[in-house]
Amino acid sequence: MEHLASGNETAAIAAKMSRASCMPVFPITPQTEIIETLARWKANGELNAEFFTMDSEHSVMSAAVGCSATGARTFTATSSQGLTLMNEILFIASGMRLPIVMANVSRGLSAPITLWSDHTDFLNQKGDGWVQVHAQDNQEVFDSLVMAFKISEDRKVLLPSMVNLDGYVLSYTKEPIDVPTQKEIDKFLPPYKPKHAFFKPNKPLIQGAAVLKPEAYTYFRGQHHLANLNALEVIQEVCKDFKKKFGRDYGNGLIEEYKTNDADVIIVTQGSISTTAKAAVNEMRKGGRRKTKVGLLRLRTITPWPHKEVAKALQGAKHIAVFEKNVSPGRGGLMMSDLKASLYDHTKKKPIITEFVMGLGGSPESIQMFKHGVKLAKKDRKGEVHWLG
Amino acid sequence: MYKIRIHGRGGQGGKLASKIIGSAAFLEGHEVQDFARYGAERRGAPVESFVRIDKDKILERGYISDPDCVIVLDETLLDLVDVTYGLKKNGIIIINTIKKYPKFKKKGFKVYSVDAATIAMKHLGKPMYNTAMLGAFANISDLIDFEHIKQALQHEIGKKVGEDYIQKNMDAVHEAYEEVVMQ
Repeated sequence: MEHLASGNETAAIAAKMSRASCMPVFPITPQTEIIETLARWKANGELNAEFFTMDSEHSVMSAAVGCSATGARTFTATSSQGLTLMNEILFIASGMRLPIVMANVSRGLSAPITLWSDHTDFLNQKGDGWVQVHAQDNQEVFDSLVMAFKISEDRKVLLPSMVNLDGYVLSYTKEPIDVPTQKEIDKFLPPYKPKHAFFKPNKPLIQGAAVLKPEAYTYFRGQHHLANLNALEVIQEVCKDFKKKFGRDYGNGLIEEYKTNDADVIIVTQGSISTTAKAAVNEMRKGGRRKTKVGLLRLRTITPWPHKEVAKALQGAKHIAVFEKNVSPGRGGLMMSDLKASLYDHTKKKPIITEFVMGLGGSPESIQMFKHGVKLAKKDRKGEVHWLG
Repeated sequence: MYKIRIHGRGGQGGKLASKIIGSAAFLEGHEVQDFARYGAERRGAPVESFVRIDKDKILERGYISDPDCVIVLDETLLDLVDVTYGLKKNGIIIINTIKKYPKFKKKGFKVYSVDAATIAMKHLGKPMYNTAMLGAFANISDLIDFEHIKQALQHEIGKKVGEDYIQKNMDAVHEAYEEVVMQ
């Protein structure tokens, strides 16, 4: 049934309907509404889960590791500074191969302090070995969280997943979402029954122990890497299954191509700015004699990085305009190196890439901004970098 | 697409007004999206909220800089904020006031006014101007009706305030619906 919900409410509904049974939590703007909603349901008996309020995000992720290591389906949510405070334990969660699912509501990092969304917080976690997807609207927040449990718990993957949604622009924006029945969700996502090592009282074991031999450590890191590469396949399978059951199509689940077939210029985006960029694509394609053949590539799966799919989507374009709502000082946008690596490995013709660092600390995007960007990209001969906003 | 921008001061219920318009329009069968500009929220600070209403799925997000309709909850903002910024030609501006604003009319906008302050004090006993302004908006836009406004109010604040207070708000909606006039 369709109803109106904010991105945060949507995430809470998805966690509840996925029957996550353990939820360690700590509040942080703009994510707090997720755990407030879950806490309200816990208090009035609607939520059948262990709900722990912890003293910090570091403790939240530590508790999540403990919960998941006992074989419990575990959910939590965070944002920005909270995510960076979890950093140490994020590597432990993925290294121990624990299928925790977390919603991260993106927000720029301090200093200076901002409450608004940009993507620096979670792109900064590119190396932690979590599976990461980025939603463009509230419907995708719901669908991605439900799918994330299935992907994470797959025996070929067994990795934690982070589903990113943009602060405010999705977290506090109400839009219509279609929520399946509990029965339909249960059929798609059966209870989690771990077959690998997990804690139980009658069988002592150690997880995440020290391996002082470098070859053992290398073995585990190699396995972790392979599991991430397996996720490229599993994400596609789960998206296909999801489409069959619920009718919503996320293609291969790795990238989304919008009107790229005949495009001379391709805009590259991720997250909620993508829908405004699509509206800009539609307008630019309308413009009569002055129309531009423009398309859009949306990066949906951030880790593992789908090199081949990205290169294939971009190979026909003359110009590429990358809009990055993040910055790594001294490097530039955090997606550029991955994007360029994909093109280097998988295409012969090298299109010119114009980079736009935009939307930092919630600086607003608009249809005009994307149109302006495409205009600059078409004139670019050397790969310029522009800061917008 | 129909785009609405609401200007108010923190505490006057501008954000709630955008939610109610969004919910009511959704109940009428439209695609909707509501959003607010957040800052260091405090009572009295200028705030803005936004609603988009369309028959198709809405792609555009964020601030609205080309509204079809502007709702001004507090006329003291008119000296501080350019509330008509980007307002489309023949665009609608609804102001909570008893004064005349010929300067907006001269610019080609359709100016409507309603004494939402008095209506709110009469029915609610406090300066929450949002619901009265909703009544004025319902009349002028013809996009939302009383029943759906009531359902939206029940959905958004019903659990907190109870049926009696919802009814007081609806009285304010009805009175402003009748009282709003074109300048």
